[in-house]
Amino acid sequence: MSYLFLIIGAIFVNNFVLSQFLGICPFIGVSKKTDTALGMGLAVTFVMGLASVFTYMINKYVLVPLGLDAFLQTIAFILIIAGLVQSVEIVIKKVSPALYSALGVYLPLITTNCAVLGVALLNITKSYNLLQSFLNGVFSGVGFTLAILLLAGIRERLRDSDIPEHFQGFPITLIAASIMSMAFGAFSGMFGI
Amino acid sequence: MNLLNAIVFTDLPVYAQILIPAGILFVLGAVFAVLLAFLSNKFKVSVDERVTDVRAHLSGANCGGCGFAGCDAFAEALVKGEASVSSCNATSKENKAYIAALLGSGDAGEETVYVVKCNGGTQCKEKYDYQGYGDCQSMQLLAGGRKACPVGCMAAGTCTNVCHHNAAEIDNNKGYSNINLDKCVNCGVCASHCPKKLIQPVPKSAKYYVACSNHEKGKDVRSYCKAGCIGCGMCARNCSEGAITVVDNLAVIDYTKCIGCGKCAEKCPSKCIKKVFD
Repeated sequence: MSYLFLIIGAIFVNNFVLSQFLGICPFIGVSKKTDTALGMGLAVTFVMGLASVFTYMINKYVLVPLGLDAFLQTIAFILIIAGLVQSVEIVIKKVSPALYSALGVYLPLITTNCAVLGVALLNITKSYNLLQSFLNGVFSGVGFTLAILLLAGIRERLRDSDIPEHFQGFPITLIAASIMSMAFGAFSGMFGI
Repeated sequence: MNLLNAIVFTDLPVYAQILIPAGILFVLGAVFAVLLAFLSNKFKVSVDERVTDVRAHLSGANCGGCGFAGCDAFAEALVKGEASVSSCNATSKENKAYIAALLGSGDAGEETVYVVKCNGGTQCKEKYDYQGYGDCQSMQLLAGGRKACPVGCMAAGTCTNVCHHNAAEIDNNKGYSNINLDKCVNCGVCASHCPKKLIQPVPKSAKYYVACSNHEKGKDVRSYCKAGCIGCGMCARNCSEGAITVVDNLAVIDYTKCIGCGKCAEKCPSKCIKKVFD
């Protein structure tokens, strides 16, 4: 059951964008169309899952034994995530051009994204084990995908509506995002997560 | 590991406290650097040099007028032989010739400009008064648009909305849209978005064009539009070069023969043959 709660918590209760306010940049930047939003969401999910596993290993087997985990975590994790994503990008480009054209353009964008770094650091703070870290990473990404898809859907509708001139574009998007965030606020405290 | 655990980090001299983390980061960075270098070598994707060359000679407008996602995709399709360079209008003649020579295929195509082939506007009756959201494309969904003429410009702004260069303009007095050829880069995006397909290319050398697209009989055209081509043939009879023929009740100018004298425009009873640069 604890795994189920972890998954629900990662997607809804502690939604990365709408509850923890991480990864706002791609959330606003790539949410104009639902299909690009989905691509971005999948890329984030992929990178978060991957980063969770690798940062957990590096933390457990390199940083903690050396007693460096307290202050070297952030910078080491950034390095790991960036290096990892770049190598995966190179491999995907060769192995699966179809996947590359779907995810490729988004991968460099999220190498140094705070949401990805956030999930890596939170895994350590909450002292998750390897499987929990992986699940938290993947389902936080799913939560991100959900949020960005919802916003993209709203923005597609907003584009066709009659909005006062000064609210057009980013202002109305931020208002929509804040109302979504309030809606997700209803989940907070659920299941004691 | 036992040895390392025995050492208390904060007991080390200051230089060691600085150098050890720096060293670890250096090693981590070096590991990833080697990994990336190895991977990029091993998984190298070879790019055809011609694609880069072709791309450099395209206009770079990324307008999508050719039907591809952008100039990059178009360059790739050109090299693969899936596209013809003539479907790009924004690229200059010299660059097209260069690309055609480089790829050894396809002619550079003739340079064209876009004109709106409708002269109706306020002279064309309306079927209904459209009150609602959107532009021509949404209007088109409601009984084929508000104009009584099936191919009448509705002047609701699809072309002005899609044009990146503000070249498509709606003339509110005349009631139809115009392409401002000073601003137009000939990308053809408006042409592909116009629900009536009224925006069409004519050769850049063309002096006159038929500003009507209606193929119905003259009597029917007259019943709803004072400015439409009625297929009377006056232009064809008065053309000294025989460049005009009436095909399916609509005058067609053969630009290989047209000398641009303007006699047809003078004689046209509907005044629907117009100057290109007007």
